[in-house]
Amino acid sequence: MKITQRFPAGGEVEVADLLAAVAEEPDGGPLRFGDERIVDFLVAFARKLLAPTTARRFPELASLGFFLRRGEIAKALAGAATDDSTLRFPRGLVFHVPPANVDTIFVYSWALSALAGNRNVVRISPRSAGAAQTVIEALNEALADAHPAVARTQRMVTYDRDDATTAALSAGCDLRVVWGGDRAVTEVRKHPLAPHSRDLTFPDRASFAAISVAAWQAGDRRWRRDTAIGFYNDSYWFDQAACASPRTVFWVGDPAAAAVAREEFVAELSAVVVEKAFVTEPAMAVQKRVSAYGVAADGLVHSIRFAGNAVATLELTRPSDVPREWLGAGTFPMATIASLADLVPVIERKDQTLSCAGFDRAELVELAHALAGRGIDRIVGFGSALTFAGTWDGYDLVREFSRLVTVPTTVS
Amino acid sequence: MTDSSLNDSLFRLSQAEREAALLPVLTELTEHHRAACEPYGRILSSLGVDPGTGFDGIADLPWLPVRMFKTHELRSVAEDEVFKILTSSGTTGTGASRIYLDKDAAAAQTRMLGATLRTVLGNERLPMLMVDTVSIIRNRRSFSARGAGVLGMANFGRKHVYVLDENDRPDIEAVRRFLAEHGDRPFLIFGFTFMVWLYLYEVARDHGLDLSNGILIHSGGWKKLIDRSVDNAEFRRRFAADTGLTRIHNYYGMIEQIGTVFLEGPSGDSLYCPDFADVVIRDPETWAEQPVGEPGLIEVVSTLPRSYPGHVLLTEDLGVVNGIDDGDWPGKHFSVLGRLPKAEARGCSDTFTGAAA
Repeated sequence: MKITQRFPAGGEVEVADLLAAVAEEPDGGPLRFGDERIVDFLVAFARKLLAPTTARRFPELASLGFFLRRGEIAKALAGAATDDSTLRFPRGLVFHVPPANVDTIFVYSWALSALAGNRNVVRISPRSAGAAQTVIEALNEALADAHPAVARTQRMVTYDRDDATTAALSAGCDLRVVWGGDRAVTEVRKHPLAPHSRDLTFPDRASFAAISVAAWQAGDRRWRRDTAIGFYNDSYWFDQAACASPRTVFWVGDPAAAAVAREEFVAELSAVVVEKAFVTEPAMAVQKRVSAYGVAADGLVHSIRFAGNAVATLELTRPSDVPREWLGAGTFPMATIASLADLVPVIERKDQTLSCAGFDRAELVELAHALAGRGIDRIVGFGSALTFAGTWDGYDLVREFSRLVTVPTTVS
Repeated sequence: MTDSSLNDSLFRLSQAEREAALLPVLTELTEHHRAACEPYGRILSSLGVDPGTGFDGIADLPWLPVRMFKTHELRSVAEDEVFKILTSSGTTGTGASRIYLDKDAAAAQTRMLGATLRTVLGNERLPMLMVDTVSIIRNRRSFSARGAGVLGMANFGRKHVYVLDENDRPDIEAVRRFLAEHGDRPFLIFGFTFMVWLYLYEVARDHGLDLSNGILIHSGGWKKLIDRSVDNAEFRRRFAADTGLTRIHNYYGMIEQIGTVFLEGPSGDSLYCPDFADVVIRDPETWAEQPVGEPGLIEVVSTLPRSYPGHVLLTEDLGVVNGIDDGDWPGKHFSVLGRLPKAEARGCSDTFTGAAA
């Protein structure tokens, strides 16, 4: 069972040796929650991601860099502060199985886990490339000035699909973090954990957008344009395939006004697509046809319109029957509903992010209460759908990555 | 070409004659399928193609992406009239196409394939050399697309001899015996392009076999031969030089339009459409028909599919029309240039699923 260690840069290692090595106590004692040795390393790593050449090449790494600035880290730790009778500690060894095709999400989950003081083993897919490779280079560079405890406790490895390796790492960890599709989560779950250990899973999710028709009507050119740009960033950045990328767009308000607003919105979005020089490859163009015709064949939509290859809009037959699968980059089922309350029966446990434009916060809070945690974990403004946060899929990650020990303030 | 094949040619219609002959049939087929296949009807309605719509030309007919047959059950016959379901896994591993044939459709596809091939084979069933292994058709339970192709083509010959033995090794003695018995008169050779190259060309060259009376029908694409720097021209040149084989016809066809094959003309410069079929090359940006010489996605058109809505299909193959009414045979003639890569999104799923993660 040999695996390739990529951070700290190394060659092939035996899984058993790796597990033994990370179990050894590092210089300066075991990692603590919010350990300075880790904080300093993350800050140095963030600085490398924010270097202009890197940030220009991979804008998503700049977002990651911002997320890991000292001030942001302090905020994340402060949010997990405890009362005097409660002490927060790391869980121990955390095994991360991130998705293959979003290059950076593994860094967020690893960084928060490291910040919580855990020893970590991250399995990076052999298929990952581009930004992931840059991340690993930056991590290894930052290691030069880091406390030796970082190299001792943090590992990123790559191995081909290998049940024995996954089984060994699963059996040895105190928390397993699995990102990816439902099938991926189910596959990984075949490997038992130690009795005290548990899973934190991030399975398939679906996300939507909602626009206030009245706000669109009232919005000036600038607002409409910013709305379209925000929507473009949310939906086209990961080819509309990220869990948080909006797919179906709900227009909330008067149907006649919505019909006009939609036309204007599609025109605005098309202009942004041209401006951003978004390219729809022929294979993607065909994929979009296959998907759009497919949902039409199923009766879920009754009208398909293409504004060029980049923007496809589909008219839902019933707003409650939303397709939750990926339909190709730039494919937007649409429906008009009278009020946000009409969304409530549509939403399922699987639904993650609602990107909104033109609503008051009070309306959105009311919607959240009406949903009562049954679905939709994040309600965000247009342009923020893909912004990662320490609370994700309903979990406060830093808390999930730690455990509590209680010592009452008065012990007799 | 022999005179008999000229008389029987199914490659006679000029492009103008073809448009005139096929458009009414294809328009009627579109109406038939929309009425008989509800999902297909819903697609047309969604695209704003209303019942009774007329079309100005073949290129104006609504097309269906060929992959729809992998994702949806599309049939225009009642379930209890289905006589045969053809399945093909394709190369991407994303599931199999399912093609539904009733008795009439099954008979028609064999009949029209035969009529198409008679153009180059003549009316007589010829002794046949199969460049494959007999085991490909023996195991009927795990019937591969290759097996189906071999079995379908076997109808057009007689006294079949397989070039490969049960262990996929060339059986030189069997080939020698076949040539000794039939090699002095026209005989038929069939196989998949890469197998023909690997197991017939190299063996014939190395053993000095004379294939000059053979008529080779082959298909399957050039992808596996590119590594060996063998393209169509080189394939033909070396067969002619080293084995005497000059009557070579590549063809292009797919299970989703079973019975329709686009056949290479005698000079080997292009693929031609039989009189009941046509091609449209589309610009993948505008979806408009490309002019001669401009590559695009291949749309295959055939009047044959009546039991499933496969009469106008957009493939994921790239091609180019080389000319119209100016080749070996009338109509459009074209080349296949390769395959579109699969669209891959950067999503957050598929940690362990998918190809060899």
